[in-house]
Amino acid sequence: MSNIYMPDLMEVVEVKQHTADVKSVKIKFKDPEKQAKFSFRVGQFGMYSLFGEGESTFNICSSSNWKDHIEFCFRKTGKVTDALWRVDEGDTIGFRGPYGNSYPMEAWEGKNLVFIGGGIAMPPIRCAIWYALENRAKYGDITIVYGARTPRDLVFTDELEKWAEYDRVRVIQCVDPGGETPEWKGEVGLIPNVLAAANVPAGNTAALVIGPPIMIKFTLPVLDRMGVLAPDIYTSLENRMKCGVGKCGRCNCGPVYVCKEGPIFTMEQLNALPADF
Amino acid sequence: MSETITQQALRALVDEWIGAGTKVAGPSYVKKDLCQYVPLTSSAELLLEGFIHPRNSVKDFFFPRHEKIYEYTLKGHEVELADMTPASTPQVIVAARPCDTAAVAILDAVFNWGEKDEFYTQRREAATIVALACVTHDSHCFCTSVGIGPDAEKGADVMLLPLDGGFEVRCLTEKGKTLFAGRTQPSDKTAVIPEGPKVKVSPEQVRAALEDYDNPLWKTATLRCLSCGACSFTCPTCHCFDIVDEGNAHGGCRAKNWDSCQLCMFTKHASGHNPRNVQGQRQRQRTQHKFRIYPDKFGEVLCTGCGNCARNCPVSLGILGTLVELCAEMPKTVGESK
Ligand SMILES: Cc1cc2nc3c(=O)[nH]c(=O)nc-3n(C[C@H](O)[C@H](O)[C@H](O)COP(=O)(O)OP(=O)(O)OC[C@H]3O[C@@H](n4cnc5c(N)ncnc54)[C@H](O)[C@@H]3O)c2cc1C
Ligand code: SF4
Ligand code: SF4
Ligand code: FES
Repeated sequence: MSNIYMPDLMEVVEVKQHTADVKSVKIKFKDPEKQAKFSFRVGQFGMYSLFGEGESTFNICSSSNWKDHIEFCFRKTGKVTDALWRVDEGDTIGFRGPYGNSYPMEAWEGKNLVFIGGGIAMPPIRCAIWYALENRAKYGDITIVYGARTPRDLVFTDELEKWAEYDRVRVIQCVDPGGETPEWKGEVGLIPNVLAAANVPAGNTAALVIGPPIMIKFTLPVLDRMGVLAPDIYTSLENRMKCGVGKCGRCNCGPVYVCKEGPIFTMEQLNALPADF
Repeated sequence: MSETITQQALRALVDEWIGAGTKVAGPSYVKKDLCQYVPLTSSAELLLEGFIHPRNSVKDFFFPRHEKIYEYTLKGHEVELADMTPASTPQVIVAARPCDTAAVAILDAVFNWGEKDEFYTQRREAATIVALACVTHDSHCFCTSVGIGPDAEKGADVMLLPLDGGFEVRCLTEKGKTLFAGRTQPSDKTAVIPEGPKVKVSPEQVRAALEDYDNPLWKTATLRCLSCGACSFTCPTCHCFDIVDEGNAHGGCRAKNWDSCQLCMFTKHASGHNPRNVQGQRQRQRTQHKFRIYPDKFGEVLCTGCGNCARNCPVSLGILGTLVELCAEMPKTVGESK
């Protein structure tokens, strides 16, 4: 007998504030045996509980190669995330997971990878970037295009610099026109335009695009012109979820339960779904 | 040849179950004109005739409207959790309509695929369902359109068929046989059950009509829907739920509560974006889920034609009317071939 809605208790080991409303949190299982046994695949998500407040869905944004903790990153936006904002080192939270499908890291071997993220979308890309870098020899050129409204809205900025130091990795940072500060050294422009101007070689390429729907919408034609086609473009859906295990019906979108068959889909798959996301 | 039981003997048997500590539920008038499936404290409360369909459904006894999934206690930085998975207590549902009984069999698929929802499966395994065949129906009933009927045995452990002064008893499973062992009398009569409502709609045709996702019907036909969710809550097959915390700084519980795709907040993202922002989209989802998504995924239509959505709707909607309208627009041949 097992209760599929029962979370494991996790200790908060580190909290880091990235922007005015984004924090990342490192957690580990209170039970060391569970920590040792836990495994997941990058792209999967979890259900994080703050007891008395509720449960929220976040991507696991650490690499699956990191065994001593898992990490998530959230934006303060409602009941649970407001309360999570007050969580500190040593506190206890709940975790269920991992749930959902994952990035096809094996199928991407031998390919060039383009990661495109807007705003808070960096966490679900970050896990794939670290995974690819930790297996550097298996992947071709890696291009990371990361944009936000202003420099203050970028998250994991220290890691952007680390990634750029790797061999055959190009990191392009951009902020929206008008969002730049005098110190800003990156590009100024909207992600689709910056991508179009960046001359990213696109043969044998898989792209992961995560961000606000409007950004995705205008980025797709650019990728198309570059020659990266719908079956090779991946994204992660954020349908509202409750159970995470295909029971509660909330994430249902046409023929799929996003929590089970997603959240990662290719654009080709998304084009075949009704627009309920 | 058949096995039979008199009404009196059946009532005595129900009282025996109750007396032995088994939880028993069945249709009963909870107040004037309101018949519902409720836990019974005596067989005197049990209705065995003179009703068409209770206002709720038997899903209430497998998937209650509210249930604790665990309790938590907060102590400084520490948290203690107490699992609230129900113990598997025997229960008997008696005089369930075949459309409700069939619904439970249909729900088994979703609560068992991948991970098992033990809250549902525990109760299901410990339950014996005694169905009662229908001799009357109303204008809302359309069980025969979705492969069920007034004496459909799907999901039932025992079928009771009205037969002068009592019932023919068909024990369909081991559980059913155990429950009625030694309580029935052989008879040379068998019950004759009327045919039930005429076929009103074809699920294949509905399925075909639902291929057109942007059918303008959704903008017009369901405009008066209030988004109240009464259709879902009283539907034997609707099974969406919410997960919420109830408590304070010291402790409380996490609960599974009924929810409905008809409610406007159901799919609203934290960003404010709502994929199903208008009621037509939500009505479309309910119909799509029942006649296209669930059949494609689990092989069964998620509707038993019980008519409860129409009986309980404050503005006289109901899925049957929508289905008929949907199909009226279709050329007759579509979906009928195969
Ligand atoms: C697979 C997946 C991965 C995700 N990954 C991440 C991630 O890595 N990082 C991240 O930050 N987010 C992520 N999200 C989104 C995240 O789950 C939500 O932002 C989060 O659950 C919001 O929770 P909340 O309780 O704080 O918001 P809620 O309090 O539930 O509120 C969210 C919004 O709902 C509306 N709302 C709620 N209640 C009411 C009401 N009574 N009246 C009116 N409006 C109301 C409001 O618009 C509100 O802003 C992910 C989502 C999915 C599905
Ligand atoms: S949709 Fe309506 S008719 Fe069908 S099972 Fe539900 S309540 Fe009954
Ligand atoms: S169809 Fe009727 S019962 Fe269902 S949500 Fe709309 S108004 Fe309520
Ligand atoms: S989140 Fe409950 S079904 Fe997907």
